[in-house]
Amino acid sequence: MKIDPTKASAPREPWFAARRELSAKRAAVLTVFSFSLPLLIWCTVSYLPFLWHPDVELQISADREGITTVYTPGDRVSEEFFPEFEEAVREQNRKVEPLMSLDKPVEAGSEASIRRANKKVLRHIAPLLVKNGWLTEEQTKDDDAIYSAWKEIATGGELPARPRLSDENLEIVRRNWAAMSRYAETYDADNFISRPLLSLIPQGRPANPDYLPAPHRVLISGYKEFTKPAEAERPSMWQRVGHSMRIVFGGFLLAALVGVPIGVICGTYSFFSKLVEPFTDFFRYMPAPTFSTLLVVVFLANDAPKMALVFIGTIFQLILVVANTTRRLDLPLLEAAQTLGANQLQLLTRVVIPGILPNLYNDLRILLGWAWTWLVIAELVGVKSGLTEFIETQGRWRNFDSVYPVIILIGMIGFFTDQILSFLRGILFPWTSDSAAAASNPLAKGLLFVPRFFKGAANERLPYQPEATSPNKA
Amino acid sequence: MIAIQEPDPLQYLVQRPEVSERFNALKKRPVVLSVQHLYKLFECQTGTVTALKDVSFDAYRREFMCVIGPSGCGKSTLIRILAGLESASDGQVLLDGNPVTGPGPDRGMVFQSYTLFPWLTVKQNVMFGPRMSGQRGMSAESEARQWIDLVGLSKFENSYPHHLSGGMKQRVAIARALANRPRILLMDEPFGALDAQTRCQMQSYLLQIWRNLDITILFITHDLDEAAFLADRILVLKANPGEVNEIIEVPVPRPRTPAQFITPEFVATKYHIDQLIHPNHGGSEDTLPFPRMTPQGDDVE
Repeated sequence: MKIDPTKASAPREPWFAARRELSAKRAAVLTVFSFSLPLLIWCTVSYLPFLWHPDVELQISADREGITTVYTPGDRVSEEFFPEFEEAVREQNRKVEPLMSLDKPVEAGSEASIRRANKKVLRHIAPLLVKNGWLTEEQTKDDDAIYSAWKEIATGGELPARPRLSDENLEIVRRNWAAMSRYAETYDADNFISRPLLSLIPQGRPANPDYLPAPHRVLISGYKEFTKPAEAERPSMWQRVGHSMRIVFGGFLLAALVGVPIGVICGTYSFFSKLVEPFTDFFRYMPAPTFSTLLVVVFLANDAPKMALVFIGTIFQLILVVANTTRRLDLPLLEAAQTLGANQLQLLTRVVIPGILPNLYNDLRILLGWAWTWLVIAELVGVKSGLTEFIETQGRWRNFDSVYPVIILIGMIGFFTDQILSFLRGILFPWTSDSAAAASNPLAKGLLFVPRFFKGAANERLPYQPEATSPNKA
Repeated sequence: MIAIQEPDPLQYLVQRPEVSERFNALKKRPVVLSVQHLYKLFECQTGTVTALKDVSFDAYRREFMCVIGPSGCGKSTLIRILAGLESASDGQVLLDGNPVTGPGPDRGMVFQSYTLFPWLTVKQNVMFGPRMSGQRGMSAESEARQWIDLVGLSKFENSYPHHLSGGMKQRVAIARALANRPRILLMDEPFGALDAQTRCQMQSYLLQIWRNLDITILFITHDLDEAAFLADRILVLKANPGEVNEIIEVPVPRPRTPAQFITPEFVATKYHIDQLIHPNHGGSEDTLPFPRMTPQGDDVE
């Protein structure tokens, strides 16, 4: 019987099999899902109004007599509170209604304050009209334009469509206009209605809390923040990114510069291991942030104390990790080198260091991720700076749509640095048997196609492929 | 039933004239390695353990000597002391009359585990020893190539060790040790991790190399066939404590071929070593107290 190779390939490989590798294609699909699923969840929660949406985002707000908490359009109130808010305004209107009659005389001297209040009532519609494109952002206090908009809504054919005015509010507009138009058809400060007007009832739409802005708002805010040019007191976002990276990488590189030699020496010579490691082990349990005030005293202002915090937070772990990696080097390699005539110095420089290099590289890659976690705390030391300062201030104003792009960017910088470093490992250390595996990471594959291509070409030139049936794989 | 004839226990002492002539010539050669009253004691929780007790023997120039013994007889400890990786508690080791104090390039060593430097190519591995003693340049490289040719791996001189099979790795390890031009090659069960077929092949390679070089070999093994096939003399150790049991002169004539495995000399030698290492062979220890778990009549033997 002939076997059709196209049909024979991978018939019904299971998706779930304990400790079995999936095919490259399936692995790639899952990697894509790994990122798109969280995004999808975020989108559904944001854009499907029947999911969650516990708040009401105000489109029209109103002032209430004797209550100082003022909500402006764009603010969020809870779903439970919103009807209460509406009812309070309706109640207020019921009190106003009898006073609207033109025949009733007004208390002497109160006309000016009524007019002021009326102007405010008229302006309450402005944000909704701005959204509709009837008014520009600058016209929200332009009483002429607002007055004629009221007339347009009350008498004209066209109504605000996006967002709409509720029927209840439409009725209020008409009733108010009926009263206003008896004074003047256009805005006239001297001939402005001096009888109280009805307030617009608050209007809003279901919304999520401000700490979960919708994806598109995060994108828009992110774009705005990252394209804003630098000002005198305010660095541009990319300058902030550079500043933050300088602190992380600066602190980390210093720690590596000092810590790697110490770690290697400790891992090689028991003498140094016993002398250095117990104290290091003790010191690493003291949280680095507890030294922040001390660091400011010692290193003064600017970046020095911040880098010092990253340094302190990283170096003790680094020494211990590097020492352990050095100790893991195969002892027989050292013995073999000795029987080949290597002296103490040659053992260190020709065997220990090249022998641990691939693992050392991996350690440093992981510790760089560790250093990133100190970023925010480091930038709070002394004068706030960099990305953290931005996150801090924007967060305090609850501008979370501006905060998220920065947080995501920090994650992306860390993630891609790590991916690139992990990919480079395969190129830097071609003798490690897992070098091929590192480079087959689907993300690295997609993102770093070009260097991989060249490496693939180099692989083809290798004169020998390992025997498939070699039973002596160590 | 075929009756298996027990060999004459003293048959191994009978040497053909050409074999005894070889041994006479061998013993007239200068002594390369002299081990004198070697002791090794270990301190452990249960007290002092004597790993080696009064071990003395000589190895002559261009002799192939095997060391064999039951597990725990200290054969690895012995070879590590000879290499200088461990120090003796008492006694001394002389190489060409000079006492051994530490590891050195005059004693090459091949380990059981693959100890090639993974970050160096085959050629760079072979050049490691000469480089440590300061040799540089083209001459060192061309010499390294010669050693790689000798073990038949010239095609792989630029490969990294992880591309090589176990047998190839050990061939490189032998070339690497020989490139230092040592007086003696110490081999600690070098083929122990290889499969039977590769091991057989490696034994033939090793004999060829040995025949063509001025090198003395001390070879540790636990495999009786291997010892009897390779060695001129076999040093048999006792366990607990490790003592010299006997030094056997292998009566199998050279050159050796796998066909000799069934010659009476070979069988007799093997039988004798077996008797020395496993004195209770065939005793009750070999039978497991195992109940019958198959139906009557359903027999496989």
